[in-house]
Amino acid sequence: MSETVTPQPSSTDLPPAGAESLFERVRSAWQAWIQRIFGEREDQLFLFLAVLIGIFGGLAVVCFRVAIDWVQFVLLGSSLYPGWPRVVIVPAVAGLGIAALVIWVFPRSRGSGVNQTKAAVYVSNGYIPFDTVIGKFVVCALAIGSGQSLGPEDPSLQMGAGIASKIGRYLKLSQSKIRLIAPVGAAAGLAAAFNAPLASTLFVIEEVIGTWSAGVLGAIVLSAVSSAITMRYFMGAESLFRVPYVQPAHPVEFLGYAVLGVVGGGVSLLFTKWIAYARPRIQALPRWTHFLLPAIAGLIVGVIGIWFPQVLGAGYSIIDQALHGEFAWRLLLVLAVMKLVATGVSFLSGTPGGMFAPTLFIGAMLGGGIGAIEHHFFPSITTSVGMFALVGMGTLFGGFLRVPITSVFMVIELSGSYTAALPVMVSSLIAYLISRHYQEVALFDMLTRQEGLILPSIEERREQEAFLVEDAMRAEGAFVVRPNEPLADLAKKAEAQKELPMLLRVRMGEWRLLDGEDLQRLANDGTTPHTASEVKSKGPLPLLFPDESIEEAMRWLGDWPVIPVVSRADLGQLEGALTFPDVLKAVRKAKAE
Amino acid sequence: MVDFDQDKVAPEKQPASERPLPEKAKRMPGMYIRERVLIACAVLLIALFGFTAFIARQYHHRIHQYADQWFARGEAAMNEGQTSAAINDYRNALVYKPEDPTFQFHLAQALARAGQEVQARTYLTNLLSEDPSSGPINLTLARIAVSEKNNLDAVRYYHSAIYGVWETDPLQQRWEVRSELCEYLLNHGNVQEAEPDLIALAQEVPMRDVGREKTAGNLLLRAGLWSRALSEFRAVLDTDRRDPDALAGAGRASFQLGDYVEAVNYLNRLPRDKRDNPDQAQMLQIAQQAQTMNALRPGLRISEQARRAENALSVAKMRIAACDKQRRETLTGAAGAAPDELQKLYAVMQQNNKAWTFPGLSTHPDQIPSAMSFAFQAESAATKLCGPPRSEADKALSLIASKHPGQAGE
Repeated sequence: MSETVTPQPSSTDLPPAGAESLFERVRSAWQAWIQRIFGEREDQLFLFLAVLIGIFGGLAVVCFRVAIDWVQFVLLGSSLYPGWPRVVIVPAVAGLGIAALVIWVFPRSRGSGVNQTKAAVYVSNGYIPFDTVIGKFVVCALAIGSGQSLGPEDPSLQMGAGIASKIGRYLKLSQSKIRLIAPVGAAAGLAAAFNAPLASTLFVIEEVIGTWSAGVLGAIVLSAVSSAITMRYFMGAESLFRVPYVQPAHPVEFLGYAVLGVVGGGVSLLFTKWIAYARPRIQALPRWTHFLLPAIAGLIVGVIGIWFPQVLGAGYSIIDQALHGEFAWRLLLVLAVMKLVATGVSFLSGTPGGMFAPTLFIGAMLGGGIGAIEHHFFPSITTSVGMFALVGMGTLFGGFLRVPITSVFMVIELSGSYTAALPVMVSSLIAYLISRHYQEVALFDMLTRQEGLILPSIEERREQEAFLVEDAMRAEGAFVVRPNEPLADLAKKAEAQKELPMLLRVRMGEWRLLDGEDLQRLANDGTTPHTASEVKSKGPLPLLFPDESIEEAMRWLGDWPVIPVVSRADLGQLEGALTFPDVLKAVRKAKAE
Repeated sequence: MVDFDQDKVAPEKQPASERPLPEKAKRMPGMYIRERVLIACAVLLIALFGFTAFIARQYHHRIHQYADQWFARGEAAMNEGQTSAAINDYRNALVYKPEDPTFQFHLAQALARAGQEVQARTYLTNLLSEDPSSGPINLTLARIAVSEKNNLDAVRYYHSAIYGVWETDPLQQRWEVRSELCEYLLNHGNVQEAEPDLIALAQEVPMRDVGREKTAGNLLLRAGLWSRALSEFRAVLDTDRRDPDALAGAGRASFQLGDYVEAVNYLNRLPRDKRDNPDQAQMLQIAQQAQTMNALRPGLRISEQARRAENALSVAKMRIAACDKQRRETLTGAAGAAPDELQKLYAVMQQNNKAWTFPGLSTHPDQIPSAMSFAFQAESAATKLCGPPRSEADKALSLIASKHPGQAGE
């Protein structure tokens, strides 16, 4: 037998022992980390991705903000109040460019970012084409920078969602995760645009997802926070507006805030109705007119801008001035009206851009105007006009965008104090209720429906009453049998109530379904005395509580013909019984009602 | 004891998907892709971070440039008195540096100057919440409160400014603010409230600072703090003996203190044009009269005292007669009617007619105080019944009376 000799490597072929071991150690550590993060639990990866998306979203929004300002410096100059030739010419000429870009190059950049993110969640399995991100960046920077009365938040939101979608697809996440990744990115974009991670998180939950799922919430918070930190790293920690010191409101002043709520609700309603009426009609115009619409809108905004240059662009600086009470009440109210017109025209023309900043602008002017009027007539009981302007922002946000919770937290986050919380709660709620009462469908839902897309309305879902077990169960749906009950008596009872199931209460929390046939057999067998415990039974049965959802009950109803509904305080006390026909009957009844 | 191991399923019975993978296949199929994507993301992130850092730097550089340019324009406009243009420029500057306290403060000052106090106050209150001890902010707020006639806030902010922080020349700034506060209080007749600040103001005048000594002296004069005012003016005169403002102030203070010799001395040293000023001239005349009528001045010879007392008595008699004429009543009074004060004094005068002459008073100098007391009472009664004195002599006599309250009340 020949012995095979393995050639031994010479000492010169071998790498140094220490280096090899270090390299191997690093490699194996890396592989172990990768294995742990990506190989086993996708949830961990998702949270990690949330941070990554947040940073990417933050960087994108920083670039977007810089781009808007650069365009503005170049086209309109650095003054708050540019000369009239620029004000008239620039938005109109830029409008032609915007139309060309939107129609020929980035057709997907049209529309609301919020809705497109919702559509990604509910329709396209989390898919947002990346050219939407580029399109939004380029077109919105040109539109807002050239003076169109639109804001950068909605495009930022969509850019964040688009980046997230792209990363999610590259990483080949599971379908459920990839569907949720767009809202995570949306939160990142909005948080960076507003510099308000809390309000952005709430907005995405309130308007896009509509649920407080722990897994998604964690990812959204992480992405919003990391995005806001990234943005602050480059642009500074200052909030969008310098909110002056606000004094707590005197109780009588809440009447003033209530008035603001009513007016804000009315204005929100008016604005929504106008868009609802005009948008389909403008969209139905011949295609060639769409090349001109942004230019015409730009011209109208420019003409308004000759007298009221404050309406140009997003208008953060002007909001800042209103917060400092720098305008008289007449000018404040006129600016509110002019901004409403300018924003409506810009939006209806199909120019991409957001409604958040204009809403805040109109709200600030309206609030400031009402505050100034009250200050004029009741100088002793009103606090600063700035406080009213701040509350007005939240009011319009709540009334127009129909996100009352976000509006309250946004004001708190922007002002950095809880002083304005109560007034904005009062005012925003009133505005919301008025808007809700007279305009059934919220703005974002209305826009999607006009585009022929039926996305779930988060507002409607929020207001839906849960369908509970107690709505379907029958209180007398079964009769309870004790284990030691004599069969003779039981057989008589069963004979009397043939249609009712018999539930055997074995012990606390354990219920079984008695076999009726076996009961009759044993009852007819008169040789030995029998008790209920000797009868054949199925179980133990799952238990339901009256306040549980029908969805929970449906999980069991496929396997069991009847399920006992028991009291939470005493698992041995039967509250009723639930069967599949009971559920069907209750659902039909609810629909009929 | 529960044997948990019994739940384990034998490997061969496990479904294929649950069987342990061979070591190499342990990783998920997409893991390598994910690893690569992660690395690509990291590289992209670094690149994007660098790019963003670059453009953000350029952006901030430009923003600061704009901010400084607009601020400089605002300063220039403000210096030229174009407040409205300055406000616009400051607002533009604030767009680019919204948190800059200097910009905010200058805008607030411009707004206050343009009469937009409410707007200015919003900025200043905000700034004050950041820097509550700032002297300039408190001072501007005080001036706004003054323009809004809010006395409480004005005094509060003035005091905060006095005890606040001033970056340049704090002693001088605080002195100026205190001076402004005193001026404000005196203008509103709050003399008592102004007194502590006036005293502090006088004490804080730097040595040999003639201008401030005169300012303090004049404010002290307005508050009626004569001796302190006199000290201030004397300090000025130590530096410049001919300073007309100091001479006028010292003359007035001495006059009010009843030191007519000194008053005449100071007033006489005034340049002619100043002395011809009606107020100064009248004061000089009264002082001179008072000087010649005050028999109670210590250190006088008896004959001089008697002469002055006689002079004062004759002025008093004339005042009684003039007042009587004005009232169209007889000094002897109607029969059966109770005599009024003037008639009683006339009766006293008649009784002492012989004793209250130059020889009588020279012989009985103990009568001089009584004579002077009578003259003071006569002036006082005539003032009550017929109004304030008109002649310089009567004024002088009233002035001497006010300096000798014990004699006047007898």
